[in-house]
Amino acid sequence: MLYYLLLPFLSILLVILQSTITDIIFSGRLVFELSLIVVIYAGFRLDLIRGSILAFILGFVFDCVSGSVLGVFTFIYVVIFLCSFFASGRLATEKIYIIALFSFFCAFLKELMVILFYYSTFKFDVLINMYFVSLPQALIVGLFAPVFFYLMRRVEVSLYEKAV
Amino acid sequence: MFLLRKYKTAIFIVTLLVLALIMFSYNLKYGADGSFLRKIVLETIAPAQKVLSTSVKSVNDAWLRYVLLVGIEEDNKNLKNKINELKAALILYQDGYLEAQRLRKLLDLRDDYNYHFISARVIDREQAALSKTILINKGATHGLKTGMPVIAPPGLIGRLVDVSWHVSKVLLFIDENSNVGAIVQRTRTQGVISGAGPRGLILKYISKTQDVKEGDVIVSSGMGGVFPKGLLIGQVSHVDRQDASLFLKINVAPFVDFSKLEEILILVSEENKIK
Repeated sequence: MLYYLLLPFLSILLVILQSTITDIIFSGRLVFELSLIVVIYAGFRLDLIRGSILAFILGFVFDCVSGSVLGVFTFIYVVIFLCSFFASGRLATEKIYIIALFSFFCAFLKELMVILFYYSTFKFDVLINMYFVSLPQALIVGLFAPVFFYLMRRVEVSLYEKAV
Repeated sequence: MFLLRKYKTAIFIVTLLVLALIMFSYNLKYGADGSFLRKIVLETIAPAQKVLSTSVKSVNDAWLRYVLLVGIEEDNKNLKNKINELKAALILYQDGYLEAQRLRKLLDLRDDYNYHFISARVIDREQAALSKTILINKGATHGLKTGMPVIAPPGLIGRLVDVSWHVSKVLLFIDENSNVGAIVQRTRTQGVISGAGPRGLILKYISKTQDVKEGDVIVSSGMGGVFPKGLLIGQVSHVDRQDASLFLKINVAPFVDFSKLEEILILVSEENKIK
């Protein structure tokens, strides 16, 4: 119960942290999508109900903060979570290169869905952003995901040790 | 009942997806940008974001101040020379301004609107790569309304699209959703400035017969009544005369560096009627 109560606040904190990191490292030119890495991590570690609620809330908060149409990222995040969840049973999710490649794939898939959404809904010619925005962003996610997974594993181990 | 229990998780997931799609379709159709939930999230984010961005900014400023000390004497000398040059130019412009005032009086032309400024601080930048927005620390309680023009000296940067009680969202010109009536200052040719994301701005619907060249200044045309006329937007950076197209493909570099926005001004109309 505590998990579901804390989830909205933690999601908001995560998005704030993400935008601060983005501001420091990339000066607003690219977005460091920590929230997406968390959704992928949830797909690997959490059960379907918990993880999908996390993806839904995180996507909703992201929708509220970003200038997009409400519901776009909510939908995409749940789809990404489902991809990660079903892939986790078939992939060796403890291997660094698998985490990096899969995160890159998920980030690219997310960007592709956003571009398709803009293209189909508003008829914006944003395909050129594929090279300037989507690829670098997917690369950033792919590079940082193993670091995040490693840190989370350390936290999990230390929490488990304390509990024992 | 048995089926419901068996496929409980699957039904839950499908419900979540459908809920997201309904939310998305509803907002797409009715444009509920100022929804209550969105306002609540923005209001919750604003204070924490403000504290974080202020602390990051102060650390950054301290570092920059230290770095800037190197070579400051040379900069100082250059700036003094620049000031002298600008003073000379200013005298010329002052003459021109006074002359324009006299002519305006003579022709009985008046400003249609009377504006005053509300200053605000940028507390967050865009989160989605294709959406170019910023979050500011003023909202409806400070007199802001959706659609108000936003400037950051020397030029126009966008308009308010989402106004909460104490926080507002600014849609920047470089967002692909943004379209503004514009004029080439030198030739008075009218077009539409559209956002092009990381590529800056694009000036559209300028016929190939028109004279537009690199370095031309683009200002707002005042068409539509949202933005006042004559506010600086950007400078033509590239003109492409494609054979297949009817119009010129003109890239415009904005005057404002959108990645370094810290304080902005919102133009508030004191009276919306013509004098």
